[in-house]
Amino acid sequence: MADTGKDMLLYWGSGSSPCWRVMIVLEEKGLSDCEKKLISFSDKGHKSDEILKLNPRGQVPTFKCGDLIINESFAACLYLEDTYKSQGPPLIPSEPARKANVLQRMFEVPSFTKKAMEDLLYLYMFKKPEELDQEKMKKGKAALKEELAMWEGYLVKAGGTYLDGGGFTMADAFFFPTLAFLVRNGLKLGPTFPKLAAYYDAVSKRPSVQKSWPPHFKESEGKQHLADVL
Amino acid sequence: MAFATAGRSMKLYWGSGSAPCWRVMAVLEEKGLGKYDSKLISFDKNETKSEEIMKLNPRGEVPTFVIGEIVINESLATCLYLEDTYKSSGVQLIPSDCPKKAQVLQRTFEAPGFMKKGLEDLGYLYMEGDVNEEEMKEKKASLKAELALWEGYLKAAGGDYLTGQDFTMADCIFFPVLAVMVRLGLALRPTFPELGKYYETVSKRPSIMKTWPPHWKGTEGKKWLNNVC
Repeated sequence: MADTGKDMLLYWGSGSSPCWRVMIVLEEKGLSDCEKKLISFSDKGHKSDEILKLNPRGQVPTFKCGDLIINESFAACLYLEDTYKSQGPPLIPSEPARKANVLQRMFEVPSFTKKAMEDLLYLYMFKKPEELDQEKMKKGKAALKEELAMWEGYLVKAGGTYLDGGGFTMADAFFFPTLAFLVRNGLKLGPTFPKLAAYYDAVSKRPSVQKSWPPHFKESEGKQHLADVL
Repeated sequence: MAFATAGRSMKLYWGSGSAPCWRVMAVLEEKGLGKYDSKLISFDKNETKSEEIMKLNPRGEVPTFVIGEIVINESLATCLYLEDTYKSSGVQLIPSDCPKKAQVLQRTFEAPGFMKKGLEDLGYLYMEGDVNEEEMKEKKASLKAELALWEGYLKAAGGDYLTGQDFTMADCIFFPVLAVMVRLGLALRPTFPELGKYYETVSKRPSIMKTWPPHWKGTEGKKWLNNVC
């Protein structure tokens, strides 16, 4: 009998890419009955006593698996894939060349996330418009465009819908949430990056991604901060 | 032997003093794959952007790692690939037992945040000469708070290593970063005695001694981080 997520608990915030990664993997591994507690970032829910007891860093995702606590999204995803390997699709292929490709793409995601979030979107989100250094923002957008070009190239090279070709893998679970956040903030992938545009459409429709789509994305329009990047 | 042969068809491009490169080298040693080809590049001469490396790694970075036809360029990807592919060879770096596996993975993936606070946001800026001491104050306080967390982890684990008595992937990923910070002047004692003991213990581990950055031997490090703790 398959294992379920009934002894699991995930604290998460809507729109958080690290949380979304874990939720996608839970769905893919058939662990969707994991208990989920949604916190509000604006109410500083991630700094509650309940979370700090489990995660001294006061961050989400904070994830409890029975008695085990795993709070880094990469750690949680890898733990789930390894422990529930036989459930759902294999998210990390066992064939060496494909395994290497998937692992490589997974760990390139932080470089992508840095250029997308830290160097660009967080500045728009957390600074006042008059505090923004426009030259810096211009450079940030150019760097993001270059980074996206690399990922467009990876999709071309993989020769299928997903980052590893025909199959959805952990690389997509890691990469897609940040890409979706950029699209939410005005990034228009087509016509400059047709493979990424098709990728975005295809992955958006995947059941695990649909089920874990950030609720507030459905309730409101995003901003247009990145409308002029491509 | 299968894995010794595999070790000889591997090639690592690396730079002395690079924590990510050191992680891969430590894992190779621990897995008994120490007989790999290596090419030491010079950061000063900007050799990470050489044609040879760019062809294998369009990001122009090290570690760049080749196994036969396969190329893997992110240190964490490479370390996980090696551990998974050569699981039964050498030391098992990620335990199979669920609670220990969870703890090792957790500490492994906290290490990048530690590297960001101590090197990307601090040490590397000193290296680039791009330093405003007022800004550095806040970052140094942030690093000190982060070190306090790791001190706590060591105390709670109650053994020689991050997760207890066994040397694991967590130590492979964390220690090189700590060692680079010590090289840049970080003084762990007396504020962080557990970290001080940890640093000394792991420094003596054969895989770590073998892969110690060559240009550190017999030369002084910097003093940039000596007022952090």
